[in-house]
Amino acid sequence: MAVLPGRIGNWLSLPVVAALFALCVAPLLILFAYSFFQVDFVAISREPTFANYAKIAGSETYRNLIARAFGSAMLVVAITAIIGYPVAWFIAKRVTTAKSTLLTLLLVPLYSGDLVRVFAWRVLLGAEGAINRTLMWLGVTTEPLAGLLFSPLATHIALTYNYLPFMVIGLWLAFESLDDAWIEAAADLGAPAVDRFRRVTLPLTVPGLIAGGLMVFVMVAGDYLTPQLLGGASGVTIISAVNDLFGTAFDWPLGSAIAWTMLAILMFCFGAGALAIRRATLVSDGA
Amino acid sequence: MSRLATLWVWLVFGFMYLPIAMILLFSLNASDVMAFPLRGFTTEWYGAILSDGRLGGGFLTTLSVAFPVAILVTVFGAIAALVLTLYPMRGRGLFVAILLMPFLVPRLILAVSQLILFKEVGIDRSLWTVIAGQSIIILPFSTLIIASVLIRIDRQLIDAAADLGASGWSSFRRVVLPLMSNGLLASWVIAFVLSSSEYVMTAFLSGREQPLSVLVASDFRFNLSPSLNALAVLIVLGNIALVVLAESIRRRSGRND
Repeated sequence: MAVLPGRIGNWLSLPVVAALFALCVAPLLILFAYSFFQVDFVAISREPTFANYAKIAGSETYRNLIARAFGSAMLVVAITAIIGYPVAWFIAKRVTTAKSTLLTLLLVPLYSGDLVRVFAWRVLLGAEGAINRTLMWLGVTTEPLAGLLFSPLATHIALTYNYLPFMVIGLWLAFESLDDAWIEAAADLGAPAVDRFRRVTLPLTVPGLIAGGLMVFVMVAGDYLTPQLLGGASGVTIISAVNDLFGTAFDWPLGSAIAWTMLAILMFCFGAGALAIRRATLVSDGA
Repeated sequence: MSRLATLWVWLVFGFMYLPIAMILLFSLNASDVMAFPLRGFTTEWYGAILSDGRLGGGFLTTLSVAFPVAILVTVFGAIAALVLTLYPMRGRGLFVAILLMPFLVPRLILAVSQLILFKEVGIDRSLWTVIAGQSIIILPFSTLIIASVLIRIDRQLIDAAADLGASGWSSFRRVVLPLMSNGLLASWVIAFVLSSSEYVMTAFLSGREQPLSVLVASDFRFNLSPSLNALAVLIVLGNIALVVLAESIRRRSGRND
């Protein structure tokens, strides 16, 4: 039911498409071109070469950093899924009037900005920080727990905190479209609670799990600030390596190649995730 | 089962608000050390922040970025949302994919690639490049907000306007625009909040004039003081107030039908 006859939408979309091309597509394409250049002393030589990609493939450091980025991302996806699943269920199925209030409350901390959130965690977890001082004051420990701040633990707590709402939103959408009749039918047919969950609820919410998981995955893998400011020595990530190569190390081509390696992997994950969602939806439609 | 879930939800929401509660508490604590036990009540840290001229200047710079960003993003987001809901276009799937790209590409990667582009075409870093960079990453959010209002518009109203002889333009101006105005307002406020708290894009694309977030980040690396708590609290409270305002505006538009 088109409101206006013909092609007005096509014309209307032009300025937006132009802006997206100028500020997102074109920059990423130039970044791609740079990944085939090379640094020649202080200048950038534009002879195309695969040397940067060869360097990444041959460097154990870079390979490990890339693997660690995606390992962290998977870990945070798993943690947020476990924490978020009951929350999403609760908001979708157990709350009627306060639904949008709860969702808003969940999203509000996101708007405090990355920097403020990281700062708050630093206050909480530091050696002189709230948790340590409190534990010592209560006499639980005599020395501050050194491992709290500037550790992978601190980074992952803050990453979980940062991206949990996205997982909950993805799952919540799946629960909202889940028809309770399926579960009632399974109960009527004598399925115990565990089977009802495993064979009805879980498969029907898989699309939400994947959608939320993809968002969390992409954002954790690309997070710069959190590991940088909370991870200490473990704060060196593949993203911070890109940052260094564009800053002090001045090797833009190698930085570009690493960035595009990350983008390629992320795009692959996204494609796989989208395919999995489509398949999961087909299965549940046929169920 | 249900009671267990209720407890769990309380715990999770507690976790989400714990850091904010902590900085609020320590921003009012009369001690240099951010730890328990609390030493008494003070507003000294707020005084220190509010009288800091450097941060005040940074705040003005932040505002001079956030205002244009919020306007630009709302206009472009409105167009994108209209195209996605009421005025269909060809290649919609591709359009959505490109629209979501700035949200999905890691910010630091987008920032460095914009840096290369600006360098290639000879644009120096300035507040203009910050405005451009921030706008593109906030665009997906504003599109979503405005589209969420547009999909609730009863299309029969638009058909009725057409039946009564309204041209495409006048049905847009007199039917669609009034119905979407709450969405525009909500988008403006949210874009303002996102712009003022954005750090990575801002740090990479700003030149000599540095917005608040960049100044705070350097303070934060080198001297952690309770007055930063006070600043963080002011930022959080300001943002929360604006977000709640935007949400109530956006939701009010649903009650019309």
